[in-house]
Amino acid sequence: MKAAGLLIASLLLAGAAAAQQVKWNFDKLAARASDTVDVSLDGSLLRFATKFLSDDDKDQAKVKKVVGGLKGIYVKSFEFKKPGEYSAADVESFRAPLHAPDWQRVVGTHSNEDGETVEVYIKNDTKGIGGLAIIAFEPKKLTLVNIVGAIDLDSLSELGGFSGIPEVEVDKKK
Amino acid sequence: MPRRTPAPAAASGFDFASLVRQHQAMVFSIAWHLLRDRAVAEELAQDVFLSLHQHLGEMESPEHVLYWLRRVTSNRALDEARRRQRRPMVSLESAPEPVAVTPAGDPLLDTSLRKLVAALPEKARAIVVLRYQEDLDPAEIARVLGIPVGTVKSQLQRALALLREKLSRVAGQASDLSLGKE
Amino acid sequence: MAPLEDELKEALRRREPSPDFTERVLARVAAAPVRRVSQPWVRWVAAMAATLLLAAGGLEYRNYRGERARDQVLLAVRIAGSKLNKAQKKVQMLTHRSIS
Repeated sequence: MKAAGLLIASLLLAGAAAAQQVKWNFDKLAARASDTVDVSLDGSLLRFATKFLSDDDKDQAKVKKVVGGLKGIYVKSFEFKKPGEYSAADVESFRAPLHAPDWQRVVGTHSNEDGETVEVYIKNDTKGIGGLAIIAFEPKKLTLVNIVGAIDLDSLSELGGFSGIPEVEVDKKK
Repeated sequence: MPRRTPAPAAASGFDFASLVRQHQAMVFSIAWHLLRDRAVAEELAQDVFLSLHQHLGEMESPEHVLYWLRRVTSNRALDEARRRQRRPMVSLESAPEPVAVTPAGDPLLDTSLRKLVAALPEKARAIVVLRYQEDLDPAEIARVLGIPVGTVKSQLQRALALLREKLSRVAGQASDLSLGKE
Repeated sequence: MAPLEDELKEALRRREPSPDFTERVLARVAAAPVRRVSQPWVRWVAAMAATLLLAAGGLEYRNYRGERARDQVLLAVRIAGSKLNKAQKKVQMLTHRSIS
């Protein structure tokens, strides 16, 4: 009986986490991209993955701390052969779910150097930050990040700085 | 202690014949590109599938099957290549290059390139094949071959540099031939 | 991707084996002898060995999955962190400019 109750509770939690994930439709962009990076880690896969992060490696230990307790990490990055493969309307379609009342845009920046615009959104819940979304776009690349759960923005930003974790190559789908 | 035996292929949930049809090109091509002998490659590919049938009960997912096939095929083909000693172990730099006999059009460039790849030492050859036939990244290649990812990256870099150099020499010879130079 | 790499992808693309390859594999599978062992203790040892191999194979694949998932976490954190870092630096720079 207790086991059944635990099972139901964990299924509900999984369902709740899935419900908090931003619903973006990538089909159009995926068809036009020359390269795609796709990372999709729900709560259980994240927990499994963190077991393989080394406590002896300084950077991996920091990552372990940052992602511990998160309910999901989703990253999609599209590269295109030439500019103009996606439109302002495409970008707006990714902003649309973030117009919901519990989402708040906290920063939008544009770099003249590489032409990249970065928009950062946080999801508010009763305990504080319940999620993060990033839309980053430049002429030949568009990246979408969604993190579900209470994320420490300063620690995450630190990990992405030049002194942060080294590059890791994973499969690029063509 | 209860008696346990590996689950038979029939109970694994996988349709073995479908798996063979689905993956035969991959398995055969890895073997062929590493061994450069069609008959030997087909035989090795058959052996790999025979082994898969014996281990089908251990397969957890279609992804596991793919990983297993790549790993077993690559390692068996490497073992076979070393066993047959088709060429003595040489450094990357002294790997022989094919002599161009005709100007290179696309199919001939393919053949030249395949021959140049075939002339690479076995490990470098396997890395290049897994990278460009299977589109695996260095971390994935390292896992399939059971070698450090640093080794994969450095060997891949060196192999590409060497292939570029040898290819340009081959192309130069072909151009000389087409211009009637000896 | 550089031209040589494109050419390598083309030169090393997958090829099909002989048209009757599948049939030959299935024929070999059907013809493979089934080893029968009569002594119970030998069967027990074989079963234990098979169980250990099964466990080892499963563990090896678990490690493979875990390492792949770990690499994906590292990549995701790097991408997310770098975008956030870039935005924060820009804000800091603009704030500094407006103050000075």
